[in-house]
Amino acid sequence: MEIHTDHHAPPPLTPKTDPVPPYDKQGDMTDEERVDAAFKGFVKDFGQDVAIHMEACIHCGACAHACHFYQTTEDPQYTPIRKLEPFRKAYQREVGPFAPLMRMLGIDSRPSVEELQEWQHLIYDSCTLCGRCTTICPMGIDIADLVKSARHGMYDAGLVPDRLSKITRNAEAKGSQFGTPEEFIETANAIAAAFNVDIPINKEKADILLTTAPGELEGHHKAFADAGKILNKLGYNWTMSSEAFEATNFGYLSGNRELQKRLTTALIDKAVEIGAHTVLLPECGHAYGAARWEWNLWYEKDVPVKVLHMTEFLDQEVGAGRIKLKPVGNTATFHDPCQIVRRGGLTQAPRRLLKALGIDLIEMKDHGDFGYCCGGGGGALANVRAAPLRHKVFDLKRKQIEDTGAERFITSCGQCRITFERGCQETGWDHPPESLMELVADNMID
Amino acid sequence: MTEPQTVGEMLARKGISRRALLRYAAWVTSIMALPSSMTRAMAQGIADTKRMSVIWLSCQECTACTESLTRSYSPTIDDLIFDFISLDYHEALQAAAGHQAEEARLKAMEDNKDNYVVIVDGSIPLGNMGYSTVAGHANADVLRETAEHALAVVAVGSCATWGGLPKADPNPTGAVSVSQIVRNTPIINISGCPPIPEAMTGTLAHVLAFGQIPELDHLGRPRAFFGNSIHDRCYRRPFYDKGLFAKSFDDEGARKGWCLYELGCKGPVTYNACATLKWNGGASWPVQTGHGCLGCSEPDFWDRGSFYKPLPASTEPLATPLAAGAVAGVAAGALASRAAKTRREILGAMSKPKDAADTTDKT
Amino acid sequence: MELLDFARGPALTIAFAIFAIGVAWRLSSLLFTPRPHRRAEAREGTPSDAKAFVRGVFSRFIPHKTYRDVVFANHLNAYVFHIGLFIVVFLYRPHILFIEGFTGLSWPALPNTLVYGVGLVTVVSLGVALARRMTNPVQKILTTFDDYFSWALTVLPVLTGLLVVNGIGARYETLLALHILSVCALLIWLPFGKLMHTFLFVLSRGVTSVRLSRRGATF
Ligand code: HEM
Ligand code: HEM
Ligand code: SF4
Ligand code: SF4
Ligand code: SF4
Repeated sequence: MEIHTDHHAPPPLTPKTDPVPPYDKQGDMTDEERVDAAFKGFVKDFGQDVAIHMEACIHCGACAHACHFYQTTEDPQYTPIRKLEPFRKAYQREVGPFAPLMRMLGIDSRPSVEELQEWQHLIYDSCTLCGRCTTICPMGIDIADLVKSARHGMYDAGLVPDRLSKITRNAEAKGSQFGTPEEFIETANAIAAAFNVDIPINKEKADILLTTAPGELEGHHKAFADAGKILNKLGYNWTMSSEAFEATNFGYLSGNRELQKRLTTALIDKAVEIGAHTVLLPECGHAYGAARWEWNLWYEKDVPVKVLHMTEFLDQEVGAGRIKLKPVGNTATFHDPCQIVRRGGLTQAPRRLLKALGIDLIEMKDHGDFGYCCGGGGGALANVRAAPLRHKVFDLKRKQIEDTGAERFITSCGQCRITFERGCQETGWDHPPESLMELVADNMID
Repeated sequence: MTEPQTVGEMLARKGISRRALLRYAAWVTSIMALPSSMTRAMAQGIADTKRMSVIWLSCQECTACTESLTRSYSPTIDDLIFDFISLDYHEALQAAAGHQAEEARLKAMEDNKDNYVVIVDGSIPLGNMGYSTVAGHANADVLRETAEHALAVVAVGSCATWGGLPKADPNPTGAVSVSQIVRNTPIINISGCPPIPEAMTGTLAHVLAFGQIPELDHLGRPRAFFGNSIHDRCYRRPFYDKGLFAKSFDDEGARKGWCLYELGCKGPVTYNACATLKWNGGASWPVQTGHGCLGCSEPDFWDRGSFYKPLPASTEPLATPLAAGAVAGVAAGALASRAAKTRREILGAMSKPKDAADTTDKT
Repeated sequence: MELLDFARGPALTIAFAIFAIGVAWRLSSLLFTPRPHRRAEAREGTPSDAKAFVRGVFSRFIPHKTYRDVVFANHLNAYVFHIGLFIVVFLYRPHILFIEGFTGLSWPALPNTLVYGVGLVTVVSLGVALARRMTNPVQKILTTFDDYFSWALTVLPVLTGLLVVNGIGARYETLLALHILSVCALLIWLPFGKLMHTFLFVLSRGVTSVRLSRRGATF
C-alpha cells in the first residue's frame, strides 16, 4: 500500500456518480411500514428537551440566516427548523400537548413516504449538524440536535442516503468503517514504519488509549504517525487497540443508534479493560460529539475514563509545559470545526496552541463559536448527493479564508480537512488546510 | 268664563307673554339639542295644544323623583309645567285621596282616551302584589290598565326605568321596570336616581309641543339628555387624559380637582346630562363636589360593587380562577406527561432496533 | 350594559381559568416529562446548571453581533411591539386598577394619552410584522394558521382598546365589552398556540444553554 508522507496528499475520494437518485432507500419494507417505523423511531426521542424545543418555535425565520445552506442558496426550503417538519408532525400526533385530541379526532398528520423521502434531502444532505442555527434562534432551540435525533427515525425507516448506509453497514460488519482489526494492524504498522514512529498496539495495560479515524489510516498518514510521535515524546504509557481504534461514529451520523452504541462502548470498555484513564480522540469533530458528549447514553453509571480530543489534550500538555514549541512565525487563519468548537466547547484551546506556536492568527469574518461549517460535517461529506450544496458552502468558506490574507490555513478536524481538500481538487484552489496537531508535532523542541 | 281651550290662551290669561313662551321654547330646544329653528315651532306647538292630561302613578318609590321635578329651577318652569299639563292624578301632590282619587284617574282616562300621558315613578313588585297597592289595587294592574290607552308612558327615575334599588340583589319584592309591564304603549325612559328635572320637563315639553316622542337611545332614553357619557363631557377629563388621579378624597390631587377615576367614578359608562345641565339650577353636580359619578342612570348600577371600587376593577374575584386553574393545570400536566411517557414507551418498544437505548436528551 | 357585564363577569372568569389551566398544564407537562439520561460529565470549570440556565435565558435577548445585521430590523420591530404591549398592558392606569382589583398590587402609570400613542405604534409595528410574515419567503414557508390567528388575537385588544378610548364605532361600554372579550380570547388562546412562547422561551433557552454550557461552549 502507498503511504503518503506528504501531509497534503488527499485521501481517496468518493467517486462522483451521476445521475444521483433523488433519495435512497434501504431494506424491503412497504411504504406503510416505512412511515410507521419512522414515526416510532421519532417518538423514542421525545424526551424533555426535545419536547420543549418542539413546542417553542415562533416561526420567526431567523435560523435561516445562520445556516450556510440557506445562505448560499437563498432557498427557503433549507430553513433549519423546517428540516424537522416530519419529526414535528410525529411529536404533535403522538406525545405533544394536543396528541390525544388529534388522535381522538382522527387527524392523521403522518407524512407520506414521499414526503419522508423528500425530507431525506433536508435531514441528511442539507444539514451538517453544525449547530450554527442554534446560536441565532431567539428561542434557543437546538435545531442541530433535533436534526440528529430525527435521523434515528429515518434510519429505522430505511431512508438514509446510500453512501452513509453503506459505510454504516461496513462498520457494523467489521467494527470499523475502515476495516477489520487485522487490516488496521497492517496499515498501522506500515505507517509507523514509513514515518519511523513506534506505535504500540494492543498493550495489555496502558494509561492512554489512542484512537484514530479512517481518514488518517487512508490518507492523512502523517497525522496518524504524528499522534504517536507526540505521545512517545511525552513518555506516556499508551497504546492503540485493534478492537477499539475507530473513533469516528457513523452510527451517530446516520441515525443508527445501535451502531453508535457499539462503537462508543467499544472504546470505553476497552479503556476500562486495559486500565486506561483516558481515551484520546484523533483530530475528528463528530468523534468528539459521540464519544465525549454522548457516551453517557450507554452507561448506567459513571466510568472512570476521560475522553479527550487531541486539541484539548495538546492544549493541556502545552499549558503544563510538558510540550515546548518553537515559533513558526507565520500568519494563519483557523477553521473552527463545529463539533469541537461550537458544539464541543473548545474555542480557546486551538487558539492557545496557535499562540504557543508563535503564529499570528488572523480570524475569518465569522469565526470561533460563530464560524461557518466546512460544509462536509454531519455525514454530508460521505453523501454524494450533497456535493452540489457542499460546493456552494465551499465557495463561501473559501472567500472568508482568502479575505484574511493569511499565509497558512489551519484546522483541527480531519473531516474538515478532507472536505477542504476535496473542494480544492474540484475547484482548483490551492490552499488546503494543515493539521494543527501536525504543526505541533513538527515544532516540538526536544 | 269659559275654560281656556289651549295652553296659549291659558298663558295669555295668566299674563305670560308670547315672548316669555318663546324664551322658554328656546331654552328647551337648546337643552334638547334641537336646531334653534325649532324654537318657533315649539312655542307654537305649545301654544296650540290643549292642556295635556297627565296621570302620575307612583309604585315602589321614594318620592325623590317628584321632589326633583318640583325643584326644577328653569325659567318659571315649576309654574309652567303645571300650567301646560293637567295633572289629573298624583298621589303625592293631589289633595284628593282614596276612591275619590281613583275616580279622577278613571275619568281622565275616559275623557282623554289615547291622548293622555302616564308618568310612572317607582318599580313594580311582582313577587307579591300586596307589597304596593293603591286603593286595594296592585301597582301592576293599575299600570297595565292606565297605560293601555295612553299616548305614551314616561318612566321617570331608575326604579321605573330599570327596577331601581328595590330590584337590588336579592330583589325581595320581585321588582320590575315599567317596560316589563307595559307592552303596547310607547315608553320614554328618563333614568337617574333621581333624574335631572330638566330632562323630565324638557321631554314633556317636547311631547306636548310636537305630539311626538323625542329621539330615544337603545335603552329608550331621550338622546338629548342621555346621548353623551358623563366622562365625555366631564370638566375633569383633561386630568384623566394626563393620568392625574386623586387617590383619596382628601389628598393633594383631590384638592387640585384631579380625575376621580381611581376613587370609583363611573362617568365613563354613565349616560346622563349632569356634566352639562348640572343640578339645582346649574349650581353644581356630583363630580364637581368632589365625588365620583355613581352611574345612577344606568341599569343595575346598584349591583355593580362598591361605588368606590375603580371601574376596571373586576366585580369577580379573579384571583380564584387563576389559582384554581393553575392547580388543576399542574395536575393535568402531570397526567398528560405520564400518558405521553407511556405512549412513548409503547411506541418506542415497537420501534427497531429493539435493544438500542433511546437517545433522548443527551447533553 | 349586559354585554359588558358578561365580559367583566363570566367571560373574564372563564378566560382567567382557562389561561391558568392551559399555561400550568403545558408547562408542567413539559417539566414532568422525564429526561431519561444522565448528562455527560461537564467540562471542568463550567458554570453550574442553574447558573447556565439563567444566563441563557437572558443572554438570548440580544442576538450575537455576528447576526446583528441579518436580524436587526426584525428584532427591532419585535422589540417595539413587545415593549409596546408591555407598556399598554402594565403601565396604563385603568389596567393597573384592574390588576390591583384582584392582586392588590399597584404601581405608577404613564399618562393616558402617551399610552394611546404607544398603542398606535404597537399596532403599526404588529402590522409590519404581519407584512413581513406574508412576504418574506422564509417566514412564508414556516407560517401556519397559528401564526395568523395568534397575530390577530394579539392585535385585537390593542385595536379595540384604542377604539374604546376614542369612542370610535360604538358606545363606550359596547366597545369596552368587545375590548374585554378580545382580551378573553387572547387569554384563552395563549396557552394553546405559539403565544405560549411567552413562557416557553425560558425553558427553551434554558435547556440549550445548560447543554452547551456544560460543554464549555457559548450559548
Ligand atoms: C392601546 C391599547 C389599549 C387601550 C387604550 C386600552 C384601554 C382600556 C380601557 C380604557 C379600559 C377600561 C376600563 C374601564 O373603564 O373599565 C381597559 C380595560 C382593560 N383592558 Fe385595555 N386597552 C388597551 C390594550 C389592552 C391590551 C393589549 C390588553 C391585554 C392584552 C388589555 C386588557 C384590558 C383588561 C383586562 C381590562 C380590564 C377590563 C375591565 O374593565 O374589567 N387592554 N382597557
Ligand atoms: C417575555 C415574554 C416574551 C418574549 C421573550 C417574546 C419573544 C418573542 C420573540 C423573540 C419573537 C420573534 C421576534 C422576531 O420575529 O424577530 C416574538 C414574536 C411574537 N410575539 Fe413574543 N415574546 C414574549 C411575549 C409575548 C406576548 C405576551 C405576546 C402577546 C400576547 C407576544 C406576541 C408575539 C407575536 C404575535 C409574535 C410574532 C410576530 C410575527 O408574526 O412574527 N409575545 N416574541
Ligand atoms: S445545524 Fe448547521 S447545517 Fe444544520 S440546519 Fe443548522 S445551521 Fe444548517
Ligand atoms: S430561529 Fe428558532 S424560533 Fe425562529 S424559526 Fe428558527 S427555530 Fe423557530
Ligand atoms: S371624574 Fe369621572 S367622569 Fe370625570 S373624567 Fe374622571 S372618570 Fe371621567
